[in-house]
Amino acid sequence: MRIKRRKISLSLSALSILSITAACVVAVSVCIAIFSAVYSTALLNDAKLSSGQAVGQIALAVNNNLDSMRQKLEFIEETVADCSDSEDFCNKISVITRMQKDIYAVTVYGENGDIIAATNGDTSLKKQIYKDLSFDKSLFESAEGFTISSPHVQTVFEGGYPWVITFAAKSDTPVLGNGVYIAIDYEFSEIAKYIDNVGIGRHGYCFITDGDGNVIYHPQQQLLFSGIKRENTDFIKELSDGVHFDKNVIYALTTTQDGLWRVVGLSFTDELAVERKTQIIFSIAMSFLFCGIIALIVLRIYSKIVNAPVRSLIKAMKSFENQAENFRYTGGNESVAELSIISSTFEHMAKTIQSLVERVHREEKELRKTELKALQAQINPHFLYNTLDSIQWMCEQGKTKDAAEMVRALARLFRISISRGRELITIKEELQHAENYLIIQSYRYLSQFSYSIDASDELMDCLCNKITIQPLIENAIYHGIDRMVDEGEIKITINSAEDGSNDILITVSDNGVGMTKEQCSKILSKDRSDSGGIGVKNVNDRLKIYFGEKYGLSINSELDVGTTVTVRIPKIDKEAQNEF
Amino acid sequence: MSFKKMISLILAFSLTAGLCACAKTDSKKYIAVIAKAVNSDFWHNVNNGVLSAATEYNVSVTFEGPENEEDYDAQNALIETAVKNGADAIVLSAIDYNNSVDAVNAAIREGVKVVTIDSDVNSDAVSLFIGTDNIAAGKEAGKAAVDGFDVDSEIIIGLVNYNADTDNGNQREKGFREYISTVSNARIAASVTAESNEVSATAAAERLLKQNPRINVIVGFNEWMTLGVGNAVKNLGLSKNVRSVGFDSNIISVSMLETGEMDALIVQNPFAIGYLGVEKAAALISGESIPSGEVYTDVTTVTKKNLFDDDIQKILFRFK
Repeated sequence: MRIKRRKISLSLSALSILSITAACVVAVSVCIAIFSAVYSTALLNDAKLSSGQAVGQIALAVNNNLDSMRQKLEFIEETVADCSDSEDFCNKISVITRMQKDIYAVTVYGENGDIIAATNGDTSLKKQIYKDLSFDKSLFESAEGFTISSPHVQTVFEGGYPWVITFAAKSDTPVLGNGVYIAIDYEFSEIAKYIDNVGIGRHGYCFITDGDGNVIYHPQQQLLFSGIKRENTDFIKELSDGVHFDKNVIYALTTTQDGLWRVVGLSFTDELAVERKTQIIFSIAMSFLFCGIIALIVLRIYSKIVNAPVRSLIKAMKSFENQAENFRYTGGNESVAELSIISSTFEHMAKTIQSLVERVHREEKELRKTELKALQAQINPHFLYNTLDSIQWMCEQGKTKDAAEMVRALARLFRISISRGRELITIKEELQHAENYLIIQSYRYLSQFSYSIDASDELMDCLCNKITIQPLIENAIYHGIDRMVDEGEIKITINSAEDGSNDILITVSDNGVGMTKEQCSKILSKDRSDSGGIGVKNVNDRLKIYFGEKYGLSINSELDVGTTVTVRIPKIDKEAQNEF
Repeated sequence: MSFKKMISLILAFSLTAGLCACAKTDSKKYIAVIAKAVNSDFWHNVNNGVLSAATEYNVSVTFEGPENEEDYDAQNALIETAVKNGADAIVLSAIDYNNSVDAVNAAIREGVKVVTIDSDVNSDAVSLFIGTDNIAAGKEAGKAAVDGFDVDSEIIIGLVNYNADTDNGNQREKGFREYISTVSNARIAASVTAESNEVSATAAAERLLKQNPRINVIVGFNEWMTLGVGNAVKNLGLSKNVRSVGFDSNIISVSMLETGEMDALIVQNPFAIGYLGVEKAAALISGESIPSGEVYTDVTTVTKKNLFDDDIQKILFRFK
């Protein structure tokens, strides 16, 4: 029972914790789902915006750069117009190439790419030019005024092969005789300054393509050239200006004013995701903390409202189980309706059970009493017959005096037996009853035994159960003395107990054959089977029912020495009779 | 569950979560790149790749090499110093295939990851080799050497190679010889060994050409040997008579291609070698498992004809 109950209480608290935790987890999950959705959208929008802005700024810078290149080209055009010969040109222009770091060389081409004049300020032209990548006639002719080539290496000067793009303009008037095109080989340093320093997000970057998607300048040009990195230029080529989002990449594109170049900005949302992750972890931790606190509070309230009343109810039930008699319980004060009902129902039930138990008790007692009374009322027919037989015999013998004595004793015996239905009589009356019995028996057994009564006078008015001593005497006669050859002796004593317990001890002792231990216990446990008289067990039972377990008979017997039966009853004055 | 237990549980939980959020702020890893040399164009390009990868993968790098490209003792000392300085990984191009084994193994025992680039070392403990497939590159050189000859003309080849203990030089020569052995009208007449610098290589190539006047193909097996071959051809005025083939490129060897002293260059991808070396080393440090073995970068044969093609430009000329 105990284990089972504990199990229930455990599972109850476990259930409450589980349900609260589950509620918390659900709440947190929902919160985070909403949060991360909102957050990531906001983050993505932010990233898109900053992407677009960065690319816009770069485009502006590139536009300015292109404008300045155009201006430089115009300026060079004006300058070379005044030049008298190639040497003059070189002197004038080399000043410009030296000052402008991003201008690698300035060249004047003839109709078919023959170099009329060229300078880069530092190094001389190769004696033997294998191929001049800067000259591209079809390109130069393709647009009015100003054209820009793809990146290529500069091959006409000694001492290196720098990567350049060529800005070229067709001159309206012949330069230095038959010069048609003026070209500037432009190193990327100026543009690189803008592009290299642009960061979009953590790993985002910008690069420049031409209208066909070929990369003009890329901050990781070397990676591209080495084949380690590739840009998906075919995809980018198809995108319109603006901000696009595809497969975790944000593309921002702007076309320059003249429509020749496009500035492309790339940024990666997976790095945003990493950032977001730490933020989300933090927020998860915070929400769990928050939920934990809420769970704690809820748990406290819950345990106060539900667990504590349940526990006290269980405690009450336990104590009711142990001792129902003096149990007091008042329920119905719980704040939870169901528990209140349970507890008040329990209270009601406990009270009902208590009253039922009491009633059963009372009825039992009553029943016993009536049973006993009925038994007492019975007259042992054998005894009556034998006694009457003895009286008749006495009369026939002419012992009228003895007969009269015996009849008197018999009459008194019955009177006390009946005793107006009272259970308790005074010890005096009980003794008289016993004596009358002894008188009758002593006639019947013709002086086979003698008897003595030794009772202290102050106890005479105390009460005892009627027919307590007589069965003991009967027992002594039938089991002790009847089988003796010598004359037997029956002693009756009535005294206060000397152990300070305020009890009365009545002893009936004989010097008969005695009993074994088994016989002793048998007498106390078994109803008499022979005649219908009241047995020793009956006496003992009655005493215990009336006065409690502490009271009753004890038998002390030794074979061939005799038996002493001691009766212990409480000392009850005559006045207290009504209590029983 | 008691009140106190509940509180401690919640505190523990929030602490863990907090720690998770705050973690991941470890210091930069250090990768020491130890080259054969630092002064050639090839190694400049390797260095560029190294720096690019260092930026990309957020590691700190050093790029060092001995003064002399033959000095494996100096290189071993550099390895020891790198270990002492707490390098998490070493990216090594071994001057000597055998004489750096002990230094490399000692470093690996200290828990340093070692990746070899360009030239391998004779140790199984090395995690990875990144570089040119030198045997294949040697075969390419063989192909370029016999290109343009008639089937019935006699091809007499002279070789100029460097330090006989270096793995990549040996591999290239091996591949070259393998290819030539399949060409019936070609034979290798002579070979010389030079120190790995321009002066020594030029002298050796001139000696070779003078002693074997019938030679009509000459091959140099690294950047310096190539310059030596080109210089010798130029100095002896043999550019019309002798076909010269070399490895790697710099401004001078490319201009020799333009002017005809040089006929073909087998060009490696030094930037990629440097970049991949650091990339893989960084991956090894961060605990990624990379199958050991070789990662080969591509080689390209450059001749006067394709010199200024768009693709070749990108390979040949370094973008500053």
